[in-house]
Amino acid sequence: MQKRYIFLALLFLVMASGLLFLPDMEKKTQIEPSALLNDIHSNNRRLSTDEIAKRIIDGDPILFLVDVRTEAEFNNYSLPGAVNIPLQDLLNEDWTGYVDQDILDIIFYGNDDILSEQAWVLCKQLGYQNLYVLDGGLNQWFATIMLPEKPGELASNEEFDLFSFRTGASIFFGSGTTEIAVKAKPKKEKKTIPVRKKVKAEAEGGC
Amino acid sequence: MGPLTFNDIISTEWNYVIALLIGLAFGYILEASGFSSSRKLVGVFYGYDFVVIRVFMTAVSVAMITLLYLDYLGFLDFSLLYVVPTYLTPQIVGSIIMGLGFLMGGFCPGTSLTAVAIGKIDGIVFTGGIWLGILGFSEAYPYIEDFNNSGYMGNITIMDQFDINPYTFAFGFAVVAVIAFTAASMIRRKVKEIQY
Repeated sequence: MQKRYIFLALLFLVMASGLLFLPDMEKKTQIEPSALLNDIHSNNRRLSTDEIAKRIIDGDPILFLVDVRTEAEFNNYSLPGAVNIPLQDLLNEDWTGYVDQDILDIIFYGNDDILSEQAWVLCKQLGYQNLYVLDGGLNQWFATIMLPEKPGELASNEEFDLFSFRTGASIFFGSGTTEIAVKAKPKKEKKTIPVRKKVKAEAEGGC
Repeated sequence: MGPLTFNDIISTEWNYVIALLIGLAFGYILEASGFSSSRKLVGVFYGYDFVVIRVFMTAVSVAMITLLYLDYLGFLDFSLLYVVPTYLTPQIVGSIIMGLGFLMGGFCPGTSLTAVAIGKIDGIVFTGGIWLGILGFSEAYPYIEDFNNSGYMGNITIMDQFDINPYTFAFGFAVVAVIAFTAASMIRRKVKEIQY
């Protein structure tokens, strides 16, 4: 009986002293799954290309564009002022300071939504703040801002306003929209076949 | 993952069912360990039986150590656990009153109910006293309300208040518990054994 008590007391002390020797584990605290699910379902994170274009043009100081594509793609084309953090490097400690903060609005973008949404979920899970995704990525950016499509003749005023904004923005971002307008359908040169005019024969004779 | 109820792993309805089952088991074990005898509890004060101290200090430290390990391993979020708010002075006064009741009656509220369950008359009288006390407190509440709500310190723990590392605190508590167990068994050997 007594032996059993001594054994249990020793076991108890060993368990308790084990707590003292636990290595400091830096806990990556994750947000609640339900909260994450809520945020995924709400579309607040998606910012349209028009909105981002406007904020870039206005020089919004809290706008922080993060290009999550590879470095080669980034060097090929990127939005002005963007920082390249490839998706696989996103959680490196070197970059944590950029994405884990509460001042700037971080906008992830890739060629489409796939990489940027992954980046958003990863960072959101870790409880980072002010995270957004450029809706449609660079493909959408080119389709709307760089090469805007002229609305049809029956379109509403808003659509025309949007178009004129986009045209302005595309000039701002250095796209040759005007050039494209000029390029539109070079006129077919008409082949001129010289036609020999028939010389009218003068009426001969008289009545 | 845990606490299970907060994270909707156990629904509120099942929570009550499980609480009932745990309560039944708790009462059964209390009775089976002889806690339904008022002499058992009073023995702590007279020095002939320290089972109460052993049981409760063991329960507290085992729970504390387990919770800290679970928290460390990520199975449980320590910060989501409910901490009873502290009203310092009223709680000191309340615990003195409770201690006196303990000493005079030989029961705590839980053990008095187990005594009622096995038909002990002193347990039934004690439980009647508890209801009277609740009635008296409720009727007198307007007069003691200010005192009741004084000294509010929020949902604090000793570790928060004195800024102690929880691991160190748990280890210290375990050491104190083992010393208390040893001292208790030494005292017990010196005191004349009482049969009950």
